[in-house]
Amino acid sequence: MGKINTVNVSKKYTFKESLYLVAIIQGMMITLKRFFEGFVLHKKFTIMYPEERRDYSQRFRGEHFISIDNNKTENCTACFLCETVCPAECIHIVADEREDDQNLYGVKKEKKPLSFDIDALRCCFCGMCEEACPKDAIKLSRNYEMSVLKRDDAIYDLDHLKREVKGLKGRG
Amino acid sequence: MKTELNYQSYKKPVIDTPPATPEAKPTPKITIDGVVIPFQAGDTIMQAAERANAAAEIPRFCYHPGLPIAGTCRMCTVEVEKMPKLMTSCSTPAADGMIVHTQSPKVRKSRTGVMEFLLANHPLDCPVCDKAGECELQDYNFEYGPSTSRFVEEKRVWDDATTKKLSDKVTLNMNRCVHCERCVRFTDEVTKTNDLVMKNRGYKKELSATDEERGLWNDYQGCLTDFCPVGALTFNDFRFHKRVWFLDKKKSICDQCSKGCNIEVHSDQNVVERLMPVFNESVNGHWMCDEGRVSYHTAMNPLRIVSPLLKSKGASKDAALVSTTWEFLFQQLNVVIKSSKKILFIIGTDASCEEAEQVKNWSSKLAGSSVVYFNGVNGVQTSKDDGKLDHLLRMKDKTSNTRGVEALGIQPINPNQVSDADLVIYLRAGRAQLPIEFSSSAPWLLWGVWNLEEVKSVQQKLNVVGLIPGLMTMEKDGSYVNESQLKQTVTTTIQTTGHCLTVNKVIEGLWIK
Repeated sequence: MGKINTVNVSKKYTFKESLYLVAIIQGMMITLKRFFEGFVLHKKFTIMYPEERRDYSQRFRGEHFISIDNNKTENCTACFLCETVCPAECIHIVADEREDDQNLYGVKKEKKPLSFDIDALRCCFCGMCEEACPKDAIKLSRNYEMSVLKRDDAIYDLDHLKREVKGLKGRG
Repeated sequence: MKTELNYQSYKKPVIDTPPATPEAKPTPKITIDGVVIPFQAGDTIMQAAERANAAAEIPRFCYHPGLPIAGTCRMCTVEVEKMPKLMTSCSTPAADGMIVHTQSPKVRKSRTGVMEFLLANHPLDCPVCDKAGECELQDYNFEYGPSTSRFVEEKRVWDDATTKKLSDKVTLNMNRCVHCERCVRFTDEVTKTNDLVMKNRGYKKELSATDEERGLWNDYQGCLTDFCPVGALTFNDFRFHKRVWFLDKKKSICDQCSKGCNIEVHSDQNVVERLMPVFNESVNGHWMCDEGRVSYHTAMNPLRIVSPLLKSKGASKDAALVSTTWEFLFQQLNVVIKSSKKILFIIGTDASCEEAEQVKNWSSKLAGSSVVYFNGVNGVQTSKDDGKLDHLLRMKDKTSNTRGVEALGIQPINPNQVSDADLVIYLRAGRAQLPIEFSSSAPWLLWGVWNLEEVKSVQQKLNVVGLIPGLMTMEKDGSYVNESQLKQTVTTTIQTTGHCLTVNKVIEGLWIK
């Protein structure tokens, strides 16, 4: 075993720092400032959730949904672009032939998703799927209340994703 | 036995050899994009360019190396000096001293024009189309096409031919068709069935089966979907199963008949999605039959037995086989093998040469045992019974290695041998049939690829004591001798499912232990 040279990189305190007094006074000043704001000026930092809601950006990315047309058919054609682009690999699609003769822009839809699962626990809400989608089918809504009681409930299936979502200004 | 394979020989360059005598003509040469290339007499400009691999790929829709030349798509036009107009490189013969430009502004402008016409009525449904990712129209449009469309009129839509089943194997989407007629020429010249035809003319030109009620009837329908440059013809077995960019591609050999076609196994996450032919001039050319194309279902069969089975001690003849561990199976079978005085090994002719050799070597070390082979498919017993089923590829012998097993000196089965054996061990890889007619009271040990239904039907006639799960062709390394005595080697393309072991490991476990 050879000798290992070590270098001590720990910083030495100056005299002013070693007193600690300046830092304590600085910290106390912040505490007093917030105390003054809260008790004298009655400035609030919290909201009364769920009665009050914070106003998030119109572009906030929350729970996923799949847009539907007038016949309540999903716009998704199972092209797998979202599954391909997804960095978290949380989208799982099984494609199938569409039997019904519903028309879109005069052309028959050939393909449909037999199952479309999004594992919300893996999802990182980056919005890449939304960007990749050629049919504007998959979208992220502004809903941020996604708590569930079981892990299985966090895997969204097609029936859940096809729900109607309102109040999406400037999106889609 | 030949072992050399010539993949892609149509792209092999011509070697420029100086003339032997002063009278003999020198090798003709052509200049393509400034590179001087020697070519074979009779080559077209496209073939000369492909041989030398000198120029950038000349785009093509109607040209295919395995089909007769049509020259209809006008995509492969090139500029030839001293010729007034652009020439189609697929149909213009190369001449000595010709100077060709494949990427000049004039040529590129022409190709952009061709692409614009093709895309005028193309639906651009790439998200739905199965061809997306390996589509020639997509690739060439990326390279040459206009980025915007000037077409404001309504696109042509074929209401009745949007998803039309031409047969149970092929679906036609006429909206995507670019009228290259590769498929029509294939049925005319390769399969010679003439079951596809272009009806009407001009704007209404439509691909259709010659007999619409009967549909397609040739045995090579998968090839139509391979070389279709767009997604107009799609193979139902693969349709909508997977997007092509997910697939891993590995070379292998089809084990469905004695032809031994060269194939590519396309799999994703260890699941085989499809098989495609690979060009090999001395075996299959560019093609592959439909029977081989869907043969991966044997390996992917959910009923396939992938764990060792054993019949419990003292159980009756009809008792069910029970799943067990390798340790216990080896222990029990060791006792059975050691106590039997005369063991008969039967090798199905779909086992690889190496497997057959290992079994043969093992049996030579066991006193009183003998090895025979059995084929049994289509009434074929030996390689002499083999013959062609059509003028292209399909063979009568539906196992892959009859000649390889024969070359090892193993004899075909003789019905009289079975009666005096104490134990029969039968090895196969999912294709050879069981010699049920030689039923005997001796206990049988099945080995190789079996599915549940097969074992159940076997059990009604024979006393099966155990089953050793083995590997499919795709799952192992090995070599196979095809009908023209060509030895071809395969390597593992997908990982083994379940608890299957190689023949070598089973012999180690059964004998050395």
